[in-house]
Amino acid sequence: MVSFRKHFDIQAGNYDEAGKAASEIKRVLKQLHFSKDLQKRVSVASYEAEINIVIHSVGGSVDFLIQDNQIFLQFVDNGPGIEDIALAMTEGYSTASDLSRLNGFGAGMGLSNIKKSADEMTLVSDPCGTVMKLKFIDREVVEDDSSQTI
Amino acid sequence: MLTLEAIVEKYQCKIYTLQNYRPDKVIHFGFCSDLMSDALMIMNTVKEEGVLENTLLITGLATNQSIRTAEMLDVEVVLLVRGKVPADQVIELANESNIILLGTDLTMFNTSGLLYQEGIRGISSK
Repeated sequence: MVSFRKHFDIQAGNYDEAGKAASEIKRVLKQLHFSKDLQKRVSVASYEAEINIVIHSVGGSVDFLIQDNQIFLQFVDNGPGIEDIALAMTEGYSTASDLSRLNGFGAGMGLSNIKKSADEMTLVSDPCGTVMKLKFIDREVVEDDSSQTI
Repeated sequence: MLTLEAIVEKYQCKIYTLQNYRPDKVIHFGFCSDLMSDALMIMNTVKEEGVLENTLLITGLATNQSIRTAEMLDVEVVLLVRGKVPADQVIELANESNIILLGTDLTMFNTSGLLYQEGIRGISSK
């Protein structure tokens, strides 16, 4: 059984560090020989979600958990929340600042890209914060009895 | 198809990451955008193995985010256009992430047109 757990803090407004958690998550998945398709789906979704916390929130974190061929990511931030989730999920809709656009983000595609990448996505939000849970399944993993923990 | 050596020579590219530069690396495809949101969305639709590894990300965005985007997508080469000069920390991140970072003074349109003439094609979003 493969089992791994890690917590990363995500700082609001820090564009230099944005993507660091996603990069480390990708490195772990690569090390554990998950399929390329899964590596890409998880990396893209976690990078988009991390960027969202950097751009839109006052700061937050991500918890990364691997259980066999399933990957769980839980992104939590401390507000100010998403006013209208359905609108935020619309491709092209964005409330991003000019600063985030200068950093190459704010096209309004992030949430829908996350949804397309993940096997399951739940998103709840109020003014105190937002919680996004993602689940990914690596269908290319051949299940075996070997024990592996890193 | 073009090798990086040919691209560097034809478009007078500066090689910012000499430590991981591979002159014989082959490029078949290109994608250009200054918006990494779009790069992540469109390049993420490519499912065929080996395409993104041989794709050039052409951008005027000389920040860490171009490098991170390439890293997440398994794109190995980023070409900065319009003479954009990356900061030292961007070059450092590219080296760490094993991304080859090049730069040319050509505009994005001219770079893309010249590459297309040489047989480099855009990635398909479907």
